[in-house]
Amino acid sequence: MHGPGNEIIQFIDLNTFTIIFLFLVGFVGGLVSGFIGSGGAFVLTPAMMSLGVPGTVAVASNMCHKFPKALVGSIKRYKYGQVDIKLGLIMGVFAELGVQVGIVLQRHILEIWGQAGSNLYVSFVFVFVLVVVGAYVMSDAMKMKHTVGNATSLTLAKRLQKIELWPMLTFKTANLRISMWFLIPVALATGMLAATIAVGGFIGVPGLMYIIGATSIVASATELVIAFVMGLGGTLIWAYYGTVDIRLTLLILAGSLFGVQLGAIGTTYVKEYMIKYVMATIMLIVAVSRFFAMPKYLNALHVTSFADGNVTLMTQISFGVMCLALLVGASIILVSLFKARSLEQAIAVRG
Amino acid sequence: MGQGKMKNIAKQSTVDDATTNAASPLAEQEKMSFILVVTRNGHMTEPVMNYAINVADHLKYGILAVHINTLPFFSDGGRREVLFAAAMQESAVVLRAKAGAKGVLVEHLGESGKIGKVVQRLCHSGKKIEFVVIDQGIRREEVTSQAPVPVFSVISIHAGTNQINKTTSYKTMKIGELFMSTTSKKRHVKNCFLFGALTAGVYAAVFTNQDLVMTYFTKGGLYALLPVAVVFAVSYVHGNFTSAFWSALGIEGSKITTVSQPADVRQTVPAADAVRKDSRPRAQVSV
Repeated sequence: MHGPGNEIIQFIDLNTFTIIFLFLVGFVGGLVSGFIGSGGAFVLTPAMMSLGVPGTVAVASNMCHKFPKALVGSIKRYKYGQVDIKLGLIMGVFAELGVQVGIVLQRHILEIWGQAGSNLYVSFVFVFVLVVVGAYVMSDAMKMKHTVGNATSLTLAKRLQKIELWPMLTFKTANLRISMWFLIPVALATGMLAATIAVGGFIGVPGLMYIIGATSIVASATELVIAFVMGLGGTLIWAYYGTVDIRLTLLILAGSLFGVQLGAIGTTYVKEYMIKYVMATIMLIVAVSRFFAMPKYLNALHVTSFADGNVTLMTQISFGVMCLALLVGASIILVSLFKARSLEQAIAVRG
Repeated sequence: MGQGKMKNIAKQSTVDDATTNAASPLAEQEKMSFILVVTRNGHMTEPVMNYAINVADHLKYGILAVHINTLPFFSDGGRREVLFAAAMQESAVVLRAKAGAKGVLVEHLGESGKIGKVVQRLCHSGKKIEFVVIDQGIRREEVTSQAPVPVFSVISIHAGTNQINKTTSYKTMKIGELFMSTTSKKRHVKNCFLFGALTAGVYAAVFTNQDLVMTYFTKGGLYALLPVAVVFAVSYVHGNFTSAFWSALGIEGSKITTVSQPADVRQTVPAADAVRKDSRPRAQVSV
């Protein structure tokens, strides 16, 4: 019987570059998470994999850093009145179920196809989800920017809210009333994705916005509660199999807690569409990055036979594009934060 | 125990006032009307003192100043209570000096408990209370729901800044719990160093014993609780450190978007009072 805790798992050696890199990536990941409620992890899993960390250890260590980060972020955003705790906890419980299903699936893949197969699977899910959801969120952000008032994309949520299906749940902070039967699929999908690629938020936040009908501010803040609940559960399972590299977790956490605080502060300054815009931009750029990483795993599985030089080049391009995604996301958040902040200060001085 | 101490101080100050105002006969005091001035802070604010003294002087009323300790069982080894009582004594001296100049009779009381209940009790005690003046930090509704007499609050303008003096409940509650005079900026810097040091300690402990940590933390099974416990500890110390770090640098949430959130700031009571409708019954004359 091969569990993930056996000879398959290898832990990397740490050097100065690795430490600084993880701290910085953690900071940017945290910044993004604090701002859009999730998504720090999608940068972090491939970042660790780029350093040679096996997919399973990357996902496990990432998940272990995710729940304390989500906890700190959600406390911060609760203080700003953006978190619907009830919605977050209910979704979190069902998302946890989804996580269990996802973990079983991931273990099966590891057993059947080995490390390369597992890496390929993670990369494939990444590209698929990032492209599909990212494109939709981007188009919505663009629409929202140019229209005044409510975006038209909320029609599905409004239709679902009208369906009276027992048990109906009321959420005060999110200011909506919806049947539990519509929450469950969103939560399950969130959990399954989280267990596979450590980022449930790419289903969770758009799900909360377009299916449940929460605003992007409340959705992103509530996602942090969901991330905490399922992150804790998921971590316990991964740690049970001994796949968590606490050193990686702590290095990422060192940077990401700085970032998550700043990201949460940023949400109090920007307009609604900015959250969607940042989310979609980062998702689409990372999708490109992951696409370039796939040939390496395909070669390892003997599905394709790219020349070694080409594979190395593509891996480097993948790494470069991912860094670009980080920088673009962080720049948009920091620029909008400090711009809005100085504007507010100028108004305060004049007023 | 805490309550007892407070009551003693209260009694003392009442006696002090009675002796300083020995000129007024007791029987006359019984009939005399009083303005009940209520504060939940150790120090009563000056605008409230001035207002009460001016009105009392004008109407020939006395002033009954009450300091209410709303957190009598606050568990800090009685430190808050001692500070509260000391502040109350200082405040009493200032008020007495101001009132003495105009010849207004002042009595002091130290109380503890809910503001509304204390006000109700005092209004029904032997003294004839004409109306209540509340200090900053007290919600008007809390008193009006219990008081049988009219309630007033005082709006003051800060000299220089031209800003309306908002209720200080938000700041005083946070600071006043432990540090009665520490500014929040200083507190952030202090927290930053304290939690920064703790965070460094946790990280040093893990990374200097890397091999040992990795051996046990990846064993699986019940050992799974080890990494979880460590990250919880880190999220507390490092979370507080990073929060204090940005606050110390002055980077905090937007005041415009967060000001309406109940978790952050209470309603500004004086501003609400300024537009309060006069609902008293009045006579109308039709010609």
